[in-house]
Amino acid sequence: MDWTKQIGRYAIVMLLQVLLFNQLQLFGVCHPYIYVMCLLMMPITLPHSVDMVIGAVVGLIMDVFCNSLGIHMSACILLMFLRPYILGVIINDKERLTEQINQQTIGLVPLLKYAAILVAVHHLMVFALGAWSWYHIGFILIETLVSSVLTLVVLLGYNALRYR
Amino acid sequence: MQNLLKILLRYSNFLVFIVLEVAAFLLIGFNNPYPRSSVLSTANQVVAWQHEQVSEINGYFSLRHQNELLAEENAALRNQLSAIDSVQTGEALYYAAAKVVQMTTDEQHNYLTINRGSKDGIQRGQGVRNGDGVVGIVRTVGRNYSVVMPIINTHTNLSCRFAKNDYIGTLIWDGKNSRFAMLTDVAAHMVVNQGDTIITSGLSPVFPEGIPVGTVENSVLKEGDSYHTIRVRLHTDFKRLKYVEVIQNKHQNELEELNHGLD
Repeated sequence: MDWTKQIGRYAIVMLLQVLLFNQLQLFGVCHPYIYVMCLLMMPITLPHSVDMVIGAVVGLIMDVFCNSLGIHMSACILLMFLRPYILGVIINDKERLTEQINQQTIGLVPLLKYAAILVAVHHLMVFALGAWSWYHIGFILIETLVSSVLTLVVLLGYNALRYR
Repeated sequence: MQNLLKILLRYSNFLVFIVLEVAAFLLIGFNNPYPRSSVLSTANQVVAWQHEQVSEINGYFSLRHQNELLAEENAALRNQLSAIDSVQTGEALYYAAAKVVQMTTDEQHNYLTINRGSKDGIQRGQGVRNGDGVVGIVRTVGRNYSVVMPIINTHTNLSCRFAKNDYIGTLIWDGKNSRFAMLTDVAAHMVVNQGDTIITSGLSPVFPEGIPVGTVENSVLKEGDSYHTIRVRLHTDFKRLKYVEVIQNKHQNELEELNHGLD
C-alpha cells in the first residue's frame, strides 16, 4: 500500500467534503459525508485497533470543521470497528482483502452492500448524536436515508470512473 | 492471571473500540454545553479561515439578490432626495427601480427591456437613468414590462447642456460605438475643452436638469464650420447595464398637454 497516495487521497476527499459537500443545503435533510469513502476503501492490512485509531483521527478532524466535537469521531470509530466483520460476511475470499477495497477487487454488488451498510450506520450515528434525542427519530431516519444514498452515489460514481 | 491476559488479548480490539468510543463520548460531553475548547472548534485559526473563504464564495451567489436590494434602496434614496428638491424647484419626481431583462448594444436601433410596466406606473415618454447617468426614454409599455429606447439609438435626440456654462446642444448617436455619442448644435464661438461635463438640460419634462450624460472626448472644428463636432464619452456603460431607475415626473402629463396646446 502506497502511504503517500493514501494520505493524498484523504486530503483531497476531506477538502471536497469541507468545501463542497458541507455547503449543500437541500431541504435540510441532505448532508452527505463522502469522506467516509476513504475509510471504506482502505485495504485491511493494518491491525484492527490501528484502523480504529485512524478512524478516530479522521473523525476528529472532520469534527473540528463541523463544530461537532466527538460526533464524527465516534461514528468513524464504530465504522472502522464494524468494517472487517461486515466485509467478512459479504465476501468469503479473504485473500482479496489485502488490496484496496474497490469495484475491481471485490466486485460491484459486494461493494454496494458493504458500503450501504456501513454508510447507513455511520450517517445514522452522526445524525442521531447530533440531534441527541429520539424525539426527532423520523426526521433522523429520512436524513440518514437521503444522505446515505447521495454518499453512495458519489462512492459508486468514483469507483465507476476510476476502477472500471 | 494468565487466563485474564488471554481474555484481554482475545478481546483487545473490542477494548480499543470501547476506549476510543468512551473518549469520543467524553468529547461530546465536554463540547456540550459551553465552554468548548477553542483549538478543537471553529475558533481555530485554520478552520475559521476556511469558513471565511467559504462564506466569501457563497457571497457571490447572493450577489444578484444584494444588487436588487441596493437598486431598490437607491431608488428609495433618490425619492427622498427629490422630495427635498421639490420644495425648492417645484418638480415632483418619483424613481422606480427596474431590472434590465434584455438589451441590444450593437445595432443601429438598440432597445432594452425592463421588468416594470403599467402596473408599476410606468408611462410612455418617461426618462430612464442609472447611477452613472442617462439611459434612455420609455417607448412601449406593457403590463409587466416596458421597452426603453436608450441614448445609443440613432433616433435619439436629447437636449443637453455644458455643466460649466449652461450652453445647450443636442445629443445624437452615430450608431458606431456604444461608449460614445455626438453633441451637435454647439456653435463655433463656444470654447470646448476635453473633459467638459455634459448634463441634461431640463428643457424637456422627460429628464430633470443635471443628470450626468458624459464628458467631452474630443472636439473638431474645421475651417469654415459653424458648429463643433463633439465626441462625448457616455457615463453609462450599456454593455454592463443591469439596474436602472425610471423617472416619473408627476407633472409630466400637464407639461405635455401644455406643449401640445402650443402646436
